[in-house]
Formats: sequence, structure tokens, C-alpha cells
Amino acid sequence: MYSVIHGIVLAVACLVVIVPLGYLIINSIKLPREFLTIPPTILPTEVTFEHYQDLIDDKKTVRYFQNSLTVSVWTTGVTILTGTLAAYGLARMRLSAKILALVTFIFLFIRFYPRVTTVIPFFLVMRQLDLLDTVWAIIIGQLGITIPFVTWLMLVVFQDLPSEIEEAAIVDGASVWQRFSRVVLPIVMPSVSAAAILTAFLSWNEFLIASSVARRKASVLSIAVASFVSDKGIQWGPMAAMSVVMIVPMIVFALFAQKYLIRGITFGAVKG
Amino acid sequence: MLRKPATWHRRHDVPWLIAFVLPAFFIVVAVQFYPLAYSAALAVQEWSLTKSQEPEGFVGLENFVEELGDETFRRSVRNSVLITGGAVILEMILGVCLAYLTMGSSWRMRAVRTTLILPMVIAPVAAGTLWRILLNYRAGLVNHLLSLIGIQGPEWLASPDWAIISVILLDTWQWTPFVLLVAGAAIASIPGDLLEVAAIDGASRWKTFLYIELPLLTPLLLLTLVFRMLESLLSLDSIYSLTFGGPGYSTYTMTFYIYTQGLRNFNFGAAAASSWIFMAFASVSIALVFWFQRKDW
Repeated sequence: MYSVIHGIVLAVACLVVIVPLGYLIINSIKLPREFLTIPPTILPTEVTFEHYQDLIDDKKTVRYFQNSLTVSVWTTGVTILTGTLAAYGLARMRLSAKILALVTFIFLFIRFYPRVTTVIPFFLVMRQLDLLDTVWAIIIGQLGITIPFVTWLMLVVFQDLPSEIEEAAIVDGASVWQRFSRVVLPIVMPSVSAAAILTAFLSWNEFLIASSVARRKASVLSIAVASFVSDKGIQWGPMAAMSVVMIVPMIVFALFAQKYLIRGITFGAVKG
Repeated sequence: MLRKPATWHRRHDVPWLIAFVLPAFFIVVAVQFYPLAYSAALAVQEWSLTKSQEPEGFVGLENFVEELGDETFRRSVRNSVLITGGAVILEMILGVCLAYLTMGSSWRMRAVRTTLILPMVIAPVAAGTLWRILLNYRAGLVNHLLSLIGIQGPEWLASPDWAIISVILLDTWQWTPFVLLVAGAAIASIPGDLLEVAAIDGASRWKTFLYIELPLLTPLLLLTLVFRMLESLLSLDSIYSLTFGGPGYSTYTMTFYIYTQGLRNFNFGAAAASSWIFMAFASVSIALVFWFQRKDW
């Protein structure tokens, strides 16, 4: 009896997740006239890909997609490079416990302070530098979030690495750079890829910074998804199709790199 | 080959290590700390871009006084408390329950867990649009399903009270998985023999939970609670795409209010001041997280 209830509860929970996502996909392939029917059209009479076709035909949405990719690639690349190096530097500096605690507090603060506080001055700085409405403004802004996060993530990884691994290399007279690139990096590569996956994920989904510095030319998918609710009313079809384009890569990511993604998302709440 | 003593290396290493840290350090200072200082400076100045291209001078705490007395600001605080409070409580309860129900490593449980985690990986802004479609009063799926069991669904996004509930539902839908994950990991780390002893002593499942597991889980659950509270307070994306603060000002949250003040009305002074009021509260919470993490329970 207990196991039956158990099964039902879990089935309902799964449905609560799957039905909305399935409905979104259905919406993205149904005819425009079936959008506001009563009762709602759950199984469309005819499948159409016109909403996707519209997205592909529209130069603007293609550019949004390209912008999103550009931003994610640059943000991830620069973050991994500088963040991993910084984490290694911090981990090997033999900082006192107090200073390490301070560093951790700074990471925690950057992760959780109301980002909307810095968005306005950031907008003004970008305006002064004449970078408003460029992908660079978005990338620079996101780096401020992702670099501390990755540094923190990798700091924990490097601290957990036994020092014997490097001692042999030290005795052989290897420089810091050689030790880092030839000895340590190959060992922590799985963590580096986890950090990269997580950075790409954060960057792809990011909205606040993108929407504050790049609303037109350099707009990205996250802004486009929100902008279908316009003065002309809601364009249901394209909105659903665009949401699918935005969501699907992340779901695929989640299915294949679940462990990494979870570790990143819950980082800070769960130790290690 | 000549071998150098290890201490020589330590000293020789330091410039290198500093060089490793510098690029990240400069970016973070330029993109985080400089704007933070800038924002503090804005908070004590009068500056509305619609009136002037340059700051209009030092006004001391006037912005703060004005904001604290502002009707919309107060309403946003109230909404934030309602939304975050409601959502986080629901998430904690549902998350812990689901964590217990999805224990185990059979393929079936793993499949269930993978499914339940999906909402969390969706961009919040897309989750907002998704629920906007679902909660449409006339043609939305939710009201259709309710009508099947004979309930006339409310005007989710058009009525001020239901709009708040809609935002809570969205937050709960998207972030219960977070609690599920964290609580799940914590439950799995409770030593099994502890529970066995309790069972042998004749404690019921409920009593075991209440007297053995809950006290062990409390520190982590508190940490998760503060974590979720901060994230929920700071989120802009989902409200932006679900209700855009509407109808009227009924789902304006702190973050949404500051965002519109600053980047829609371009009232920089006021936005900066209210963001620092918000910051004061957030800082206390962050300190709490820090303390939770470092304390050995």
C-alpha cells in the first residue's frame, strides 16, 4: 500500500515537470489559429514548423542566437583561463587561514549580493567606454560573475590535491608554470571541464546583465525570449519556438553532464 | 642536474603565483568592486537621466529618505517578502519530502531524479514565458485541467493576488529541485547504523526522522534556506517574463523595482539608494551563510 502511494506521488511529481515542457514543445509546432482556442488544443490537428521557419528566416533571431553563442564561448574561455590560474595561485600561496576566510567571504559576497546594485553603474561605465549594445559589454559583465565563481570552485579542488603530487616535480626543479601545466592540470582536467560546463550554462541563461547593456543589436536569446510579450500582444508561436531553442540545449547538457552541472549549481550549499 | 633546496623554490614561486592571480583580480575589481563603489556614490547624488546628462549634485541621504517613503518601494518590499517567504517555505517542505521519496540508486529512482531536476536547468526567463503560456486565463493548460475536475480557474496573471501566487508557483516549480538535491545529499550521508539502532530500539519511522535525522539535517537545511532566500530575492528574470511586475505594481519585487527605477526610468540616484537598502539586508544574510558554512555543528 505504501509503495503504491509512493509511486503515485513520484509519478505526479514527474508529470508536473514533464507536462509543462511537453506543452511548450507542442505549442511550438501548432497552427497559429489553435493558440487561443477554448478548450486549449492539446493535441494539434496539424503539425507545423512555421514558427521555427520564422525564427530562421528572421535575421534578428539568427543574430541573437549567434550573439548568445559568442557570449557563451568568450565568457567560458576567458573564465576558465583566468579562473583556473587564479585558483592555483591562491591555493599555492600558503595564505593564512584568516586571509583564506576573507577570500572565501569575498567569493560568497560576489555570488549573493544584489547584482542589480552594480548593474546601473556598469551600464554607465559601458556608456562612457562606448561599449553599450555590444557583445563585449555582456561578456565583460558576465566575467565579473563567472570568474570569482570558477576561482572558488577550482580553489577547493586545488586545496584538496595532495602536495606529494608536486613535490617530485619541485625536487626536479620544475618551475611553477611547468608544475601547473604538466603535473597539476592533467589531474584536475575533469574539474576544469565541470567548471567550463557550468560557466557556459550560467552565461547562456544569464539575463540581468545582458538586458541592461544590450537591448538591440547585441541582444541575446534570453532577452529575445522575454521580448515576445510586446505591445502587439503576445506572439505565442514564435515565443514558444524561441523558448524551445533556448531550453533544449540546456536539457541536453543536463542529461549528459548531470553530475557536473549539479555539483556546480549546489556548490557552496554542499561542501566539496 | 643541480638540485635547489625546496625553500628557494617557495620564495622563487611567489611572483609567479601572484602573476597567476592578477588577471582574475583585475577583472573582478573592475567589474565588481568599481561599480559597487560607483553605486555607493550614485546613492547620495541627485541624478535622473531624463533631466540631466550629468549628476546633479550631492544630496546626502535624501534619496534614501525619499525611497523609504515611496509607495511603490514599500509595496515591492511587501511583495518580495510574500513571494520569497511563500516560495522558500514550499520549496523546503516539498524538496525534503521528495528527497526522501527519491532515495535509492535503482535506475528508476535515478530516472525520476533526473526528471525532477530539469526545471532547474531551464533559463529562468524561459521558465517565465513557459508559465505565462500555461497560466493564460482563457486558453491556458492549467485552467483547462482545473475545469476538467470542475474548478473554475482564477485569472492567474490578471488579478493582483493570484499574480503573486503565480510567481510563487513558478519559483517553487523551478527551485524545489535545488532543495531536493541538497537535502538528498545530506540524507544520504547520515550513517545507516544510526537509523538501524533506532529501528531496533523500536522507534517509529516518524520518530526516527524527528529525533535523529532532523537534528542532523538542520544545519544544512538552514544553509539551504538562506541560499534559496537570497537567490529568490535577487531574481529578476522570471518575474520579468511572467508578469513584468504587473498587473499594475502588484508583483513588483525589490529587484524588479530597482531595475525599472534604474534602467527604465533612468532615475539613477533613487535606484542606487534603494539598492543599498536592499544590500544592507542581503549582507546580513550573506554573513549568515558564511557563518553557517564555517561553523562545526
